[in-house]
Amino acid sequence: MSATIERPYLLTSVGKKMVMGITGLIWAGFVFSHMAGNMLILVSPEAYNTYGHMITSGVIVYPAEFILVLSFLLHVGCAVSLVRGNMSARGGQRYAMPTNGEKAVTPASKTMAIHGSLILAFIISHIATFKYGIYYETTAHGVVMRDLHRLVMEVFRQPGFLFWYLLCLILLGFHLSHGVGSIFQSLGIRNDRMAPVINKVSVLYGLIVALGFIVQPLYVFFTLGNR
Amino acid sequence: MAGSNSKKINITLKVWRQKSAKEAGQFMTYEMKEVSTDASFLEALDQLNEKLITKGEDPVTFDHDCREGICGTCGFMINGNAHGPQKSTTVCQLHMRTFSDGETLTIEPWRAQAFPVIKDLMVDRSAFDRIISSGGFVSVDTGNAQDANCLPVSKPEADAAFESAACIGCGACVASCKNASAMLFVSAKVSHLALLPQGQVERNERVDRMVAQMDEEGFGACSTTGACTAACPKDISLSNIAKLNRELLFSTLLRREAAEGDGV
Amino acid sequence: MAGKLDSKIPSGAVEDKWDDHKFHSKLVNPANRRKHTVIVVGTGLAGASAAASLGEMGYNVKSFCVHESPRRAHSVAAQGGINAAKNYKNDGDSVYRLFYDTVKGGDFRAREANVYRLAQVSAGIIDHCVAQGVPFAREYGGLLSNRSFGGAQVSRTFYARGQTGQQLLIGAYSALMRQVDTKQVQLFYRREMLDLVTINGQAKGIIVRNLLTGEIESHEADAVIIATGGYANVFFLSTNAMACAVTASWKAHKRGAYFANPCFTQIHPTCIPVAGEMQSKLTLMSESLRNDGRVWVPKTQGDKRPPTQIPDAERDYYLERVYPSYGNLAPRDVASRQAKFRVDEGRGVGPTGMAVYLDFRDSIERLGASKVKERYGNLFQMYDKITGENPYQVPMRMYPAPHYTMGGLWVDYNLQSTIPGLFVLGEANFSDHGANRLGASALMQGLADGYFVIPYTLGNYLASEKMEKYGTNHEAFKSAENNVRSQISKMMSIRGARSVDSFHKELGHVMWEYCGMSRNAEGLRKAIEKIPKIREEFWSNLRIPGDAAYMNPELEKAGRVADFLELGELMCWDALEREESCGGHFREEHQTPDNEAKRDDEKFCHVAGWEWLGANKKQVRHKEELTFENVKLATRSYK
Repeated sequence: MSATIERPYLLTSVGKKMVMGITGLIWAGFVFSHMAGNMLILVSPEAYNTYGHMITSGVIVYPAEFILVLSFLLHVGCAVSLVRGNMSARGGQRYAMPTNGEKAVTPASKTMAIHGSLILAFIISHIATFKYGIYYETTAHGVVMRDLHRLVMEVFRQPGFLFWYLLCLILLGFHLSHGVGSIFQSLGIRNDRMAPVINKVSVLYGLIVALGFIVQPLYVFFTLGNR
Repeated sequence: MAGSNSKKINITLKVWRQKSAKEAGQFMTYEMKEVSTDASFLEALDQLNEKLITKGEDPVTFDHDCREGICGTCGFMINGNAHGPQKSTTVCQLHMRTFSDGETLTIEPWRAQAFPVIKDLMVDRSAFDRIISSGGFVSVDTGNAQDANCLPVSKPEADAAFESAACIGCGACVASCKNASAMLFVSAKVSHLALLPQGQVERNERVDRMVAQMDEEGFGACSTTGACTAACPKDISLSNIAKLNRELLFSTLLRREAAEGDGV
Repeated sequence: MAGKLDSKIPSGAVEDKWDDHKFHSKLVNPANRRKHTVIVVGTGLAGASAAASLGEMGYNVKSFCVHESPRRAHSVAAQGGINAAKNYKNDGDSVYRLFYDTVKGGDFRAREANVYRLAQVSAGIIDHCVAQGVPFAREYGGLLSNRSFGGAQVSRTFYARGQTGQQLLIGAYSALMRQVDTKQVQLFYRREMLDLVTINGQAKGIIVRNLLTGEIESHEADAVIIATGGYANVFFLSTNAMACAVTASWKAHKRGAYFANPCFTQIHPTCIPVAGEMQSKLTLMSESLRNDGRVWVPKTQGDKRPPTQIPDAERDYYLERVYPSYGNLAPRDVASRQAKFRVDEGRGVGPTGMAVYLDFRDSIERLGASKVKERYGNLFQMYDKITGENPYQVPMRMYPAPHYTMGGLWVDYNLQSTIPGLFVLGEANFSDHGANRLGASALMQGLADGYFVIPYTLGNYLASEKMEKYGTNHEAFKSAENNVRSQISKMMSIRGARSVDSFHKELGHVMWEYCGMSRNAEGLRKAIEKIPKIREEFWSNLRIPGDAAYMNPELEKAGRVADFLELGELMCWDALEREESCGGHFREEHQTPDNEAKRDDEKFCHVAGWEWLGANKKQVRHKEELTFENVKLATRSYK
């Protein structure tokens, strides 16, 4: 082969997809553990607050937050760059009709950038609401800690918030149902034999995370929240 | 076959007409009467063109050649699907019996920045040639080969390489992808050669260069929608793309740089 | 005149000729090669392999193709396989046997020395293609697999499912694109060669039309190689691709290259029968199907029962009956003719009665459907798509169709035409297949010419002659350009009432009727009367919409049909004057009592090379006598 025309790995479309995959994997793992941990809200306010206190007070929180924020920024940054490239690749003229019939694709896969953007807005508002929201205090087992449980109760008592959360959590599930499977593809871990399994696991993963999260505000709204 | 199932149907064609890359295009509607269900889609277009020529109008320009689904020259969108509704089929092999009487079909060229329209349904796919010339080969000069049976290739590997090599380069993958990505095309070639012992020597350089050229040509990235493989007349698998991703990663991590100045 | 058809066959024993010839050929030293420019027209197996090999050697190559990409050339459609004398099956194959089978298969109308060379280099082709990464079929032990083809009793055919041509072409195309990357080859796509430029009797360049812009371009070179395939599209309906044409060869013919044996056309026995008026091409089903499929028709005339309801006792497996030793693998010309006889007897099948069955029932029973699918899956799928019938359940219906043309531009042992500096490779030349080509030999010949013959013989020409550069402003280029422009404007200005296709179909009907699977003097004379009339109407009543200054496919087709209208007449003359039957050329007046071809070795053991004398003038027939020193002239028998 003659003189090479390579470009740095991370600037290739494949490299950017790899970044999307790895950061997506980190966030997919995070949202799952976040969902699972928050299930303690169904147990008791003490359990919920203690769990919250435990994960925010250890030293682990700083590197963890750093990795999450960095992943988040990389995920969004690469997405923006890829979407711009993709739009310009497609060109100005749209087709009169979408693919359909036997050649149709899943709705989730076609709309990643759209629900991705909404999830971006959601995550910002979510952090603003809870991490940087009103600071209540409580004491459990003799330790003074933040009373997140109370904040959650107050927030999800409002139908507007409830609706916004439900919408975004459904979209998150949607995003994951395609995204998790895509991670395997971008990391190069997929063959014809495993592909159907990966696709099913992906949808299941999205479903579990979305349902798990959704149970929490609904539980608050319909039971405790209205007390 | 003027077979027992042969019928005549009427269809309406909405065809994209565009004089050249520089001029704007538009849809034109043509009513077609008495189209035989035994005709291929291209033969139906021939019939339309024969009529247009007789009327003194400009016939619809479309690329086509072998008309048996192997040369990869033909291809356009029919009702939003590359090569029409039938899987594993090129438009030349798509027969009118697929459609029903009275149907309206919207026909458009492949649309992608890297595939500019030349005229009507004909587009310029030379970007694919440039990608192949960037590395889609084994550098072996004529006369250097050892006996063909010196390097055994396991049957599963050989079959897998063949499956990837079956790509006809028609561009349906690009056309059907929302990102106009050429990943299926490029990955099929990368996999074909990476699977064979003959392709090992240049394995890393090949994937580096082909991906760089693909990006250079202005194709999009892969969103794993699977539209490409669904549209592919040769059923090239999406797993090729996973393989390409892996190949590029390993190449980046493991490739040894050539020493400078060791040219001839 | 006879001196002009000097085949330049080297002396010596047939097995030493090529090695001796290579040694005695002059060489161009590596530093001087870059001073030479070579034009290669066509990028099929022959053209792409030649351009790639010459590029690798260091020549400046300009490669032209009429398609949008070299990979579209019609070699891509070859299905079944490529022969090579490897004897991997230990079943008695050898260079000599491949040589013998090919000479016999061609009904003793090919040059021994050329065929022997072809058999000699055949093994190297497989080695080279495997090295390029062509994914040939393999056995479980990892070694290459073989299958059998017609006209041979050994298994010597290498294959890549039903897509061997595609895989070999991608190999040659990749090699070509590699040279494009190193700038050793300059690629010109969507260019059609419309004239050959000769200066002082030597080929010095070509005139092409840029199909995208309509521009007429001149290209100069020290030698011109034509590898533009065959002319079976003269029949309109054939297995050839739509762009296959005789145009490049014909323009060279008009500039002085003799056209040899134009009546030697191959009608392939297994093609999907014609369906309707609008049908634009016929689809071939690989000969390899005859490895496992059995050909039959009902024993009684007009038996309209569905095939599955006709019991074995009432079926006539006629190839097995007439040719017990080769059975269903009788060579193509023989199998086609037998199908025609059955149809003529009123025993044809299908709605039109113009077909015979190719039945896989017994193979599916013997091997299981999955094994049959593994061997022929893509062909079965293709049949299903075209006909809407499932060949796993009902037998395929097949009928012969024009497929390949053994005739072509006359070349000597060096593949040089009667014009010095004009070389012709692959199907475009006439050299290796005589009057009938065996299955899986076209790919072999195309690649042999491009990879292994032209690199030696071209060098000898370039080193032997003084190579002058004239520049494309030379008057020869200017006048050729003007010729091309005036022909185009003539066609554009007719503004008549009929489309190009309508003329092409009319010509096709005449050719198929009178110069198809069987010919007779009366019919050929009729055709010779009819064709000039079609030609006359073509030039006065043709309608080409649009203009010549941009992409205009109707104009492209018109140019090609104009050449077919001249070629068709020559084919009929050639068929008329060859008063014998041989291979694909079957003259009804010359047959044995059991309807086999009857050669006349006394009078016709020669190649006919036709010389163009001008428009509407009868061409002159020259002879190159064929001598057989190694294979005894015998009646070809497959019984």
